[in-house]
Amino acid sequence: MPDGSGRTVRKPTFNTLEREKAFRQPPKDGSTYSILNEFVAPHIESFNALFDDSGLPAGDGDGRGLLSLALKDIGERVVFDGTGRGDSEHGVHGWGNRMRIWIDQVTIARPMVPEKDKTAKERRVFPTEARERLTSYRGRMNIKLCWTDNSGQTQEMMKDCGLVPIMVRSVRCNLRAMSSADLVRHHEEPEEFGGYFIINGNERLIRYLILPRRNHVIALLRPSFANRGPSYTQYAVQIRCVRSDQTSVTNTLHYLQNGSAMLRFTWRKQEYVIPIMLILKALVGASDKEIFEGIMMQDYDNTFLSDRVELLLRSFKMYTMHTGEQCLEYLGDKFRVVLNLPEDWSNAAVGAWLIQKMVMVHIDSPREKFRMLLFMLRKLYATVSGECCADNPDSPQHQEVLLPGSLYAMIIKERMEEILNAIRGTIMTEVRNGVAVDFNDKRWFNKILSKVNFDIGAKLSNFLATGNLVSPTGLDLQQASGFTIIAEKLNWQRYISHFRCIHRGAFFAELKTTTVRKLLPEAWGFLCPVHTPDGSPCGLLNHLSRTCRIVTSPLAVAHIPSLLVAHGMTQAFAPSIDGRKNICVQLDGRVIGWAHPEIAAQLARNLRIWKTEGKMDVPLDLEIGFVPESHGGQYPGLYLFSTKARMMRPVKYLANGKNDQIGSFEQVYMDIACTPEEIEQGVSTHVEHNPTNFLSILANLTPFSDFNQSPRNIYQCQMGKQTMGTPSTALQHRTDNKLYRLQTGQSPVVRPALHNTYAMDAFPNGTNAIVAVISYTGYDMEDAMILNKSTHERGFAYGTVYKSQIVDLKDMPGAPKNADLHFGLGKDIPLSAERAHPCLEYLDFDGLPYVGTRLVSGDYIAAYIDGVSQRTRFVKYKGDEMAYVDQVRLLGSDAGDSELQKVHITLRITRAPVIGDKFASRHGQKGVCSQKWPAVDMPFSESGMQPDVIINPHAFPSRMTIGMLVESMAGKAGAMHGLAQDATPFKFSEQDTAVNYFGEQLLAAGYNYHGNEPMYSGITGQEFAADIYIGVVYYQRLRHMVLDKFQVRTTGPVDPVTRQPGRKRAGGIRFGEMERDALIAHGTSFLLQDRLMNCSDYSTAWVCRTCGSLISLGYEDISLGEMVVGNSESFKPAGPGGEYCRVCRAAAEQRDELERQALATGQDVQQPQADVRVAIPSQNVLNRAGSKGGDLDVVAIPYVFRYLCAELASMGIAVSLEIR
Amino acid sequence: MFSPSHVTNQLSLVTTSSLCIPFEIPDEHYITTMQEDLEPTVRIRELKKDRVNFVLGNVDLAFANSLRRVMMADIPTVAIDMVEIETNTTVLPDEFIAHRLGMVPLISTNCDEAIRYTRDCICLAGCAFCSMMLVLNVACHDDNTMDVTSDHLEVIPYQQADDESLLPEDPGEELSKRTEFFGHPVGKHEQGVPPVLIAKIRKGQELRIKCTAKKGIAKEHAKFSPCSAVSFEYDPYNKLRHTTYWYETDIKAEWPLSENAKEEEPPRDDEPFDFNAKPNKFYFEVETDGSLSPQEVVMKVHKRLALV
Repeated sequence: MPDGSGRTVRKPTFNTLEREKAFRQPPKDGSTYSILNEFVAPHIESFNALFDDSGLPAGDGDGRGLLSLALKDIGERVVFDGTGRGDSEHGVHGWGNRMRIWIDQVTIARPMVPEKDKTAKERRVFPTEARERLTSYRGRMNIKLCWTDNSGQTQEMMKDCGLVPIMVRSVRCNLRAMSSADLVRHHEEPEEFGGYFIINGNERLIRYLILPRRNHVIALLRPSFANRGPSYTQYAVQIRCVRSDQTSVTNTLHYLQNGSAMLRFTWRKQEYVIPIMLILKALVGASDKEIFEGIMMQDYDNTFLSDRVELLLRSFKMYTMHTGEQCLEYLGDKFRVVLNLPEDWSNAAVGAWLIQKMVMVHIDSPREKFRMLLFMLRKLYATVSGECCADNPDSPQHQEVLLPGSLYAMIIKERMEEILNAIRGTIMTEVRNGVAVDFNDKRWFNKILSKVNFDIGAKLSNFLATGNLVSPTGLDLQQASGFTIIAEKLNWQRYISHFRCIHRGAFFAELKTTTVRKLLPEAWGFLCPVHTPDGSPCGLLNHLSRTCRIVTSPLAVAHIPSLLVAHGMTQAFAPSIDGRKNICVQLDGRVIGWAHPEIAAQLARNLRIWKTEGKMDVPLDLEIGFVPESHGGQYPGLYLFSTKARMMRPVKYLANGKNDQIGSFEQVYMDIACTPEEIEQGVSTHVEHNPTNFLSILANLTPFSDFNQSPRNIYQCQMGKQTMGTPSTALQHRTDNKLYRLQTGQSPVVRPALHNTYAMDAFPNGTNAIVAVISYTGYDMEDAMILNKSTHERGFAYGTVYKSQIVDLKDMPGAPKNADLHFGLGKDIPLSAERAHPCLEYLDFDGLPYVGTRLVSGDYIAAYIDGVSQRTRFVKYKGDEMAYVDQVRLLGSDAGDSELQKVHITLRITRAPVIGDKFASRHGQKGVCSQKWPAVDMPFSESGMQPDVIINPHAFPSRMTIGMLVESMAGKAGAMHGLAQDATPFKFSEQDTAVNYFGEQLLAAGYNYHGNEPMYSGITGQEFAADIYIGVVYYQRLRHMVLDKFQVRTTGPVDPVTRQPGRKRAGGIRFGEMERDALIAHGTSFLLQDRLMNCSDYSTAWVCRTCGSLISLGYEDISLGEMVVGNSESFKPAGPGGEYCRVCRAAAEQRDELERQALATGQDVQQPQADVRVAIPSQNVLNRAGSKGGDLDVVAIPYVFRYLCAELASMGIAVSLEIR
Repeated sequence: MFSPSHVTNQLSLVTTSSLCIPFEIPDEHYITTMQEDLEPTVRIRELKKDRVNFVLGNVDLAFANSLRRVMMADIPTVAIDMVEIETNTTVLPDEFIAHRLGMVPLISTNCDEAIRYTRDCICLAGCAFCSMMLVLNVACHDDNTMDVTSDHLEVIPYQQADDESLLPEDPGEELSKRTEFFGHPVGKHEQGVPPVLIAKIRKGQELRIKCTAKKGIAKEHAKFSPCSAVSFEYDPYNKLRHTTYWYETDIKAEWPLSENAKEEEPPRDDEPFDFNAKPNKFYFEVETDGSLSPQEVVMKVHKRLALV
């Protein structure tokens, strides 16, 4: 075996035996591929965080789940019964008895069989049941509702909130912590990793969404801010504050031209703006001096700043409020109407509540809020003065991730809040309407509750099924739809990338500017630069890099401030701090102190050493963002982040050689070498563990991707996801609408090391094909490929499509609701041999098809009996292709107590490759099979080897997919020596080249060093004039197959409105504008007419020669004859069929009438004049309405043109045709 | 006239020695372009059960390639062509199993005389003269996974589906020309030959299949090809300059010489190019899948080319 010198010895094995063993006997402890459980961890752990028993570390908190925290934040609602008489005992306003209502507890159970079902022995419900029965995987949610009666005694009641969808493999899932062996026993894949919900049998997941980084002030410069109102400018600073229950409020501080600032926030989708001075005073009752000093920070020489602060203070004088209490009262007075707070609260209490709930909500203490607002003001003024630059909100530095569980918690919280609001509203309505209200009467209270919708489960199911967020507050998000996607099991690559994809937000998809789509250097290592679709979602839909993690558990950082103080940080409450010499130290958007820049840098270094070495209890996931002073760059400071939802990734810290986790904020200020060789002494701080870590999983799977032109790697990431592969190893338990399966998938000879890591061999995606690069026969032009016919006959790339058909008797078209229908064959079906009904060939007596039956369009697929008429009806197979019945699945009801009403039939459609099917190598080289060439005519090598696939050499020069050429060599050598070739990118160098390594292997196998071989023409037997590049390349069969694309047709169904054929109506391939251009250029006008007119919406229409109207046709029934009385000159003019122009006839009749009047009165009656008349150039005027409407002609026009004329007429535009 | 039996005798004597057999081309027009005085020769270098390696000399390129093409695609064999599935409770769908059965090589010795093409037969859809009947009846009653292999295929006497009296009396002598194991899966009656795996079944699964094997050639379907590969080479030193060897620095280091180069004289560096030269020595290696022996394949080709 050849051995490349100077290279590490690889383990060149395909692991075939190990894999087979693992597949036959899945491990009983743990899973076969543990990394799969790691990469969905953010999904599952964020869902687990909902619950008190999440199993996540508690951090600084008490370890309570998001739901408990939400309940705490919701608080209570207060309502009065209106019985008070306004005396001292019941309050001055006569509110009467006070009732407090709150939710004390919320529980979500694991999915269980309903109580109604008495027979089930296994009470747990497993995901496979939901999947196969096309139901949802849900657990029951209960809340404990509490209220106080008149005596102040607390009453409580459990309320059912419906069934809440449960994330598979989460802490509430019955598959939690199961080993691979157990998973297989429960009809799952051995590699099942969960992270999704099952809604109506579909696997849906909540996609990651990019949000602004929480608790961090960013400076914005947006010209649109100036349009917000008079004196607004383009400057603002913004902070997205997140509470511990993961709900957030965004506070924006706008700079006004007069130097002051306005705080903006949103309450129930309504924006409010408050002068910042009002808030500052209301928070701590600060004096003007306190505010002045707080902003100036001894920088008195800075006249820009002092001017602004002076203006700020002066501008507030007009409000004539001096104390904090006055400000709170003012706020409370103004906001009382919208906040719906208890009526008995004072204005000051309402104002305090507003500030607590709307301003800097990530901080509890007003003093700290005050400090943070001062910091924001300082940053705002620094931005305006140009001392610091605006931050880029599109950069991952200022971004974090909306975790599925956090969104779920937000929705549940809001629903619970709405329940309380609804109860309060209902009671208040009753009080207002004078209905007897008795807080002591439990029956009355039950009646109230019955009017309130408690079904949170249905709301959540709806959210997951549609991705639409129905929310009165908007949840501080920029979009209301598109949160969830289906996890399609098209193949393993597509499936796993769903769980790693991250979207920028639906809002940005509509944006005309493309700046948000840009690939920024800040994204290095967090978002994959290769794995993004091309087309409309390009750059918006990204995928996380392979090693990128998302922090999901809170960290214990309470001791960090004191630790930093001990090492030289000045505390935040120190009386006089020089803002010129100190920079701010913040922890999670909370000012914890100040420090000189050198000290801050030293603190940052210390923290990093402590956290990497695990000393001083500094958690590894703490992000230490030290922004040095730069004057014109980013605003300096030491920003520490410990919260959830941050993107982090592992690198090696050079100072101590330990593993470090770095975040997207701090990475910007680091020097990370890609390889150990690149380390620059004194500059580099970190080094990547692996140079391929910045790629996503899929991008990592492209062999030798470092040899390819980068767009080709992007294409491969797309095509890998469209490949017909192995969607599942539990195919018998899948009910997907459509599954594509490759029958003979193989493990690639050439594969990156990560191929094994991510279980790619458990779900093979293609076949190793012998590929010759040669221009042969001409059938390989323009990316076409020639398939060896014998290869095809031996089963190359043979595929199968599984389709689902559901027969639901509850929902039969044409049958009334609640019809009495039963599966089976009725008495009206003759069974005897000679008169047997044709359906017996397909159906059994139970009305269901035999497994293995072959079906063509129109064959019987099920039979049912109408209980009323006792007649048998049939359901027929409607597909165009021949299909086999693969499975018939009987679906019962939830409680399992009703007769069979629903079956799920899996149909198997065979798809041997045909001419026109699409194939691709793993290098973005796709092509269509153009010919199946007989084996004897194929070129062959001296050893008698014939290619399976022939591709054209022209596929290479412009696309520069050298990786494919290297793969071909490596595959050939690997096949000869029995090696699994490592194709990990960045393994070779200029000194140790891939060509040399594989060339030596080829030489050792007796082949030419470069992989070329002399080949012979199969037809003449003569040696080709040039040697041919031939090797082994892994080929994928793409799911785009000609059979799915309708091709040509002459007639068929058309759109009722336009009468044109369409794709929806079994139409052919569209003959579009560019095709039209081609025909025009060729001058083939008959063909053009045939395509665009005769085969489309050809129609004939009557057109009036006089007025040119297409739409004024009228018919006279002249078959009966017409009689004219009097001396009127003639019959009404009409065509031979009685057709006439209604417009012209009406005009003629009107003229006649006028003439008749003129005759009768002897006067010349003027034409009635319209108010406005338009003069039209005479060349545009057709004939006057002279011929009295009888002069019509038949013309051939596209029907849609007549439709256009009618539409235009409805807008008051007449279309006139000139007939020659 | 060319006599197959005579040559077969000759071949059976030859092992790996370099023995020249005078080889007579029946029709003179095959060698019109060749040197008239030389007779075509076949020298067998190696003969094994499933492969033969020989050197064909004194024929022209067209003839040599025809030989290759006929070996690959025109030698009839029998293979399972129709599958009637009675029971299939395995995990593999019917059509996959049918496809796999088709690929199983069946012993097709003397196929020319021992069986007819169904299209040439006087029967309507198949009879004993043009078809073979094989059955596969397996069920697993064991707790272990069971391999269904080609060894489970049993040849049974052809059962006429239609009323036999309707068929005319057939005077065919095909049945008598068949060897003992004609139509049996390759390797079934031999020791140490691993059978072809068809499916794996577990307890309770069953496969009951009736197969009809028919005669055909590889032009119809790859399964009828007796050869798994035919290697073919001439002019290992590229003296004729039919091809150009692409090289980067050193043609000798980058292009390994083929084994067949030992048979020819290396060109001298100063040797002038003879543009009139024609290839006349062809190195063949034929490997079969066992349905036919390599010598039978080669002999049949000769016969076939002679009869054209």
